[in-house]
Amino acid sequence: MNAPQRLQAEALSLSHGRTAIIEDLAVELPPGRVTAIVGPNGCGKSTLLAGLARLHAPDSGAVLLDGQDIQRLPARELARRLALLPQEATAPEGLTVGDLIRFGRQPHQGWLRQWSGDDQRAVEEAVAAAGLEALADRPLEALSGGQRQRAWIAMTIAQQTPLLLLDEPTSALDMGHQLEVFELVKRLAADGRTLALVLHDLASACRYADHLVAMRDGRIVAQGAPAEVVTEALVHELYGVRCTLVPDPATGTPILTDLRRA
Amino acid sequence: MSDTLLMPSRAAARGLDAGAAERVAPPPGYWRLARGERHLLIERRALIVSLLLLGLLAAASLAYLCLGQQVLSPADAWAALQGEGDPLSGFLVQELRFPRLLAAWLTGAALALAGCLMQTLARNRLATPGIIGIDNGATAFAVASIVGLGVSLAPPALALVGAATAAAITFGVASGGDTRGYRFIVAGIGVGAVFGAVTQLLLARVDIDTANQAYPWTVGTLNARPGDAVAVLAVGLALGWPLAMALARSLSLMRFSDAVARGLGVGLRRRRAQTLGLSVLLTALAVAVAGPVGMVGLIGPEIARSLSSSRGVPLTASALAGALVMVLADLAGRLLLAPIELPVGIVTAVVGGPWLLWILMRPANRRVS
Repeated sequence: MNAPQRLQAEALSLSHGRTAIIEDLAVELPPGRVTAIVGPNGCGKSTLLAGLARLHAPDSGAVLLDGQDIQRLPARELARRLALLPQEATAPEGLTVGDLIRFGRQPHQGWLRQWSGDDQRAVEEAVAAAGLEALADRPLEALSGGQRQRAWIAMTIAQQTPLLLLDEPTSALDMGHQLEVFELVKRLAADGRTLALVLHDLASACRYADHLVAMRDGRIVAQGAPAEVVTEALVHELYGVRCTLVPDPATGTPILTDLRRA
Repeated sequence: MSDTLLMPSRAAARGLDAGAAERVAPPPGYWRLARGERHLLIERRALIVSLLLLGLLAAASLAYLCLGQQVLSPADAWAALQGEGDPLSGFLVQELRFPRLLAAWLTGAALALAGCLMQTLARNRLATPGIIGIDNGATAFAVASIVGLGVSLAPPALALVGAATAAAITFGVASGGDTRGYRFIVAGIGVGAVFGAVTQLLLARVDIDTANQAYPWTVGTLNARPGDAVAVLAVGLALGWPLAMALARSLSLMRFSDAVARGLGVGLRRRRAQTLGLSVLLTALAVAVAGPVGMVGLIGPEIARSLSSSRGVPLTASALAGALVMVLADLAGRLLLAPIELPVGIVTAVVGGPWLLWILMRPANRRVS
């Protein structure tokens, strides 16, 4: 596996049409760690992730991958270095789990390199990492929400990129399925990948992320280790909610209790 | 999970490949052909479906050569095609039926391939080049050449110009936003309506003889195929099919949502422009031969998709199915009301209309994506 790669944004401004969403933002993903991007609805966290993955061209500023402007990288090369799971990922109907995961190898394949030993191993490992061995021949439509989400993540794992960006990978999943996804994310980071997740649940972000980026109105209001940056004042600033923070007796990460509207 | 298990180093993997002792198993449903560092995957089902359609096309083509007002036995038809047998059959097959069969193959394949490309681009199985106004543009220009000049001055060339004009206007109207298929379809429907109205207006203002002369261009027929246009179409298809195959890998990813396709390394903007351009070109060349037989662009890919797996986009199967539909429809048009001939465009519309309704009303609407 390639050494972890550095992804950073410099003076980045992104907009939807004429509406500026993010202005003059700087951020860097710590290599080999899990970064969670959190903030209230409409704060620009998904837009930032889209910008980091080049789905969104910047108005000004740049996103640098190991110092190179990602706008200048060929599409396939970028796809070999950075994988993305967007929020509304849709696939053509009738695909099996295995079919979907194999599509993750596309950036590595070509007309005369359609299925190499590398491809086979990468897919087998992705299937195993996501615990989908028993489901590989099932149609995607026949899976539960959590299984389907793991299949999509497995597709991005099969891409074998050092960087993995996931947009709300656990929304619409129940507690058990959320846990499956977070444990998978932790394992991927332990194997040396750099991950960034957009999350709307601050509690999960505290629990599973190594690094937290808190956003509001298109700006970063705080970033750092969750235990250090998450304060009662920050929660109020982000969500307009008063709370009491206590350390989790099991992990030491902050837990939000006694929530009330300010 | 150990590091080495999850992510083998690329160098180590290469080393294994170089050893050549490695056995790589193809994914389920594929054959793998390997020679050194080069390897191809062939989807079994796609190959079987293509061979099946090819067989049906051969059978339909033989029937096409045999049947008509003068019925020939398959042996006689074959002999006539070789230039043997009696002169009348020879004339019938070589001068009349075979050139027309060739035109049916080419137009059917081109229209269905163009339809498959357009449907993949728009992620909508109802999107055909006909629906986005290209057919109507071609018709309007061809009719204008007949009506306006009194003589039919190169209607096929003008049909080409018309198709290109309609596509360019649709392009112009639809751009400004992103190149997404949906906006393009809406713009195309508007452009098509305008050109349709122009055709009607032209026909309403001329005498009956001129209107009769222009009539084939308004319905689609293989009766009055211009030889040059057939040759141009043959060249266009000979180039267009490999180009479509070269786009196949990107096309199969373009069926996913945009962000997924981009994440997997598809340069969407460029690929979409290429797909669109190829679809417009194939349609224009086919319409210049046969007039607007748009339904083939709907029926051909639909047959191909229902037979194929959803792992890829069935380009070859669509082209073969389109050729098959065109041959059968023209054969039916020649036979049903003989000695009167029904234009192939009317036959495909009569069959295609109910087909469309069936697709829309089928309860298990499997692949509208």
